[in-house]
Amino acid sequence: MKIAYKHLIERIHSKPSIEDISDKLFQLGHEHEINDEIFDMEFTPNRGDCLSVNGILRDLAVFYDVCLYDERYEEKIESFDLDFINKACKDCPTISFLKIDLENYEIQPYKDELKDYFNDLDANKNNFFTDVSNYVSYETGQPTHCYDASKVEGNLSLNYVNGSYNFETLLGKKLDLKGKNLVFSCKDQIINLAGVIGGKNTSCSVDTSSVIVECAYFKPDAIIGKSLKYDLSSEAAHKFERNTDRNCHELVLRRFLKIVLKHSKVKNIEMVSYNYTEFNKNIIPINIDLINKIIGIKISKEEYTNYLSKLGFILTNLGVEVPSYRNDIRTQNDIAEEIARIIGYDNIPLTELKITNYEQKYGSNNEYKIKRLLIDNGFNEVINNPFVKDSCKTAIKIDNPLDSNKSFLRTNLKNSLIENLLFNERRQKDSIKLFELSDIYTYEKSINKKRVLGIIVSGRIGKNYIDFSKKLNEKYLLSILKKYVPEDKIVLDNVSRNSINSKLKTEIVFLQIELDDFNLDIQKYKELSTPPKIFKKYIPVSDFPSSSRDLSFSIEENSQLKTLENLILNYKNDLLKDCYVFDYYKNNKTQINKVGYRFIFQSQIKTITDEEVDTLIDDIISKCLKIKSVKLPGYKN
Amino acid sequence: MPESKDISAPNLLKEFGADHPISHMKDSIMNLLTSFGFEILNGPEIESEEFNFDMLNIKESHPARQMHDTFYVNQKSHVLRTHTSPVQIRGMLETKPPLAFISGGKVYRKDDDSTHLPMFHQIEGIYVDKNVSLANLKDLIFKIIKSLFGEDIKIRFRPSYFPFTEPSAEVDILSNNGKWLEILGCGIVNPVVLENCNIDSKKYSGFAFGLGIERIAMLKYEVSDIREFYKSNLDFLKQFK
Repeated sequence: MKIAYKHLIERIHSKPSIEDISDKLFQLGHEHEINDEIFDMEFTPNRGDCLSVNGILRDLAVFYDVCLYDERYEEKIESFDLDFINKACKDCPTISFLKIDLENYEIQPYKDELKDYFNDLDANKNNFFTDVSNYVSYETGQPTHCYDASKVEGNLSLNYVNGSYNFETLLGKKLDLKGKNLVFSCKDQIINLAGVIGGKNTSCSVDTSSVIVECAYFKPDAIIGKSLKYDLSSEAAHKFERNTDRNCHELVLRRFLKIVLKHSKVKNIEMVSYNYTEFNKNIIPINIDLINKIIGIKISKEEYTNYLSKLGFILTNLGVEVPSYRNDIRTQNDIAEEIARIIGYDNIPLTELKITNYEQKYGSNNEYKIKRLLIDNGFNEVINNPFVKDSCKTAIKIDNPLDSNKSFLRTNLKNSLIENLLFNERRQKDSIKLFELSDIYTYEKSINKKRVLGIIVSGRIGKNYIDFSKKLNEKYLLSILKKYVPEDKIVLDNVSRNSINSKLKTEIVFLQIELDDFNLDIQKYKELSTPPKIFKKYIPVSDFPSSSRDLSFSIEENSQLKTLENLILNYKNDLLKDCYVFDYYKNNKTQINKVGYRFIFQSQIKTITDEEVDTLIDDIISKCLKIKSVKLPGYKN
Repeated sequence: MPESKDISAPNLLKEFGADHPISHMKDSIMNLLTSFGFEILNGPEIESEEFNFDMLNIKESHPARQMHDTFYVNQKSHVLRTHTSPVQIRGMLETKPPLAFISGGKVYRKDDDSTHLPMFHQIEGIYVDKNVSLANLKDLIFKIIKSLFGEDIKIRFRPSYFPFTEPSAEVDILSNNGKWLEILGCGIVNPVVLENCNIDSKKYSGFAFGLGIERIAMLKYEVSDIREFYKSNLDFLKQFK
């Protein structure tokens, strides 16, 4: 909700700065952003009472001397006979109607608060009565609805309809009302989707000179979900859903009238109110000890009284009387929150807490050991979301999926891991070892859960010169797992590349194991790695293709091997992404060492060109060839 | 070719893999919390509405229930849990106070855009004993945040609203660019929730807190787009060794 800073400070005696008000609003729990001196407020859903200028002023009264917008028509207003039946008293226990007949159609240019509202908030104007209604809602938080009195003929009723009904909103949107809806009807025609939006058939226009202003209290349950259901943007519904003040109707209508009188001559005013149930004051016993206990402070009765009085609570012999607009205050914990807000959560002292009940070391369980076993062998963990397009008959169906491709929960990890593998193959990765640990859910008479480990591999075992030429396959996976999982539980799945439209030749092996299948020996596994102790800043990943080059050097002097290695592995360039020894051979007869290096180049900002790679490779070669006894067979300078 | 036999040979580099950054972050926080004395509880990702909402004082018509925008499964018989709080309910139903539980894992909400994912991770904790106060909660939250972001981090507590806690708070930290960033939600357990779990709210009180792991991980690793975590890109994953 947007609230102008200007409209707040007009009513705050000390005229605080926008920054000061902003700080106070945060202290009170009202998140917001500020743009061009407009507060864009985001209130918590329990604070419907704050959805207005007066609502915020009431909260700010804790810190400032404020004066609410409360100029009203104070004269006596005659009652009138409205042909109205309320058949939904339970959900609308109180409702008032104000009938205004203008002397003529002349409306003066908007002035004072009405002018400021439209100017400062850049709000859209409609017609006079709707504009006043919108302003009054902004100022008081109470939505009102204006019917053109000349269009309301016959008896008016508030009732529930159940079934399919056509209804056109005052904005011209045609709705097919379905299910149970609370509506105002006139001559069996729906004229208002109660608490949400009025109908076109009785809406006001620039020609309206006689209006019936409806001001009602609707229980939130009767309104919740309606604007969402019919895709309507309704500020009234937003307020009714968050609860309004059932005790303010006459004051609001008198305020409405005051603004009308500033802009037009009125020949007749009438008002009628219906109260079907008595309003019971909400009184909570005073229990300062409990409040102190909940917050962990020690405040006196004077402080308690002072804090709550500023928020409009009245302290009586019976207890704390809660203002009728504070529907969120029911318990001592609610009172404690009010006190804490005023003190400021940041000002509440820390009281040391020592929990001594449990002693447990996280990270010693089987799952931790399994992860370390795989990570020590070069596997990377992935996490996938569980939504899939279709699945087997035991798959659990999502009733309201994000889209039809995400209608079921996966029943195994295979497809997710294949997708992960293909994603990385498309990015020129030639050694892929991935695993995922996840719960899997199926439905067979009841919902069943199992914890599983999924593994997928393809390509080279590794990039060092021992593993570079070896392929990831079933044998490799068995060699890692057979010590910890019974062989009959290791059911390896050689994934056909045809079935996944892949043209690569390397084998893909997938395996899924239930965690319960691991034997106790997994606890004996002595991990080589530990999770990192620091959280390194991540370097954004390039989406551009990489380019690789291999260089095979021959070195006669053993000692120069390390010199070469140091030079190459410490060569720094932004485009050089990785380099490693992929081949090494020592001829014991000639004592000549042959060592092959692979260089991978990639740019963060564009596709790297052959020329750029050539320049870098030439630089690397020229530096390497300066090392004694290092040669690059076949290389011509 | 064993490396020990040829000392002049190039180093035989062993390449380790990596924990997923989200599981690493989750494990780090769980480790921290267990060191404070919390016991780990696990619970199902598919929950009944009773445990996911009703027991937590989230009424059927309450705006908070709309706010969650929940995935329903199996003809609306169950939901994908929208938070890890149902695990605390299970814990409280099975254990008498004093109790101190944490649970972490996947949760689901019907969102999918550049800042929200339909699946993300949370850690929640609950502590119930005699005379547990907001001041105790603040002490624990300060310890958690300072462990994660350093002693000098600036912390702000703001009043907020959760149906299962009262008073409720959201906690922000001041980022390097001078903006406050929300880190976690917490509060004093609503006595209604204690009573729902057969705990005498006149005798016991408690606090609860919950944090989004992705949010913390994004700040710690300086990852700006939450979707990076779930692309399974090896160039990304290998950075978190």
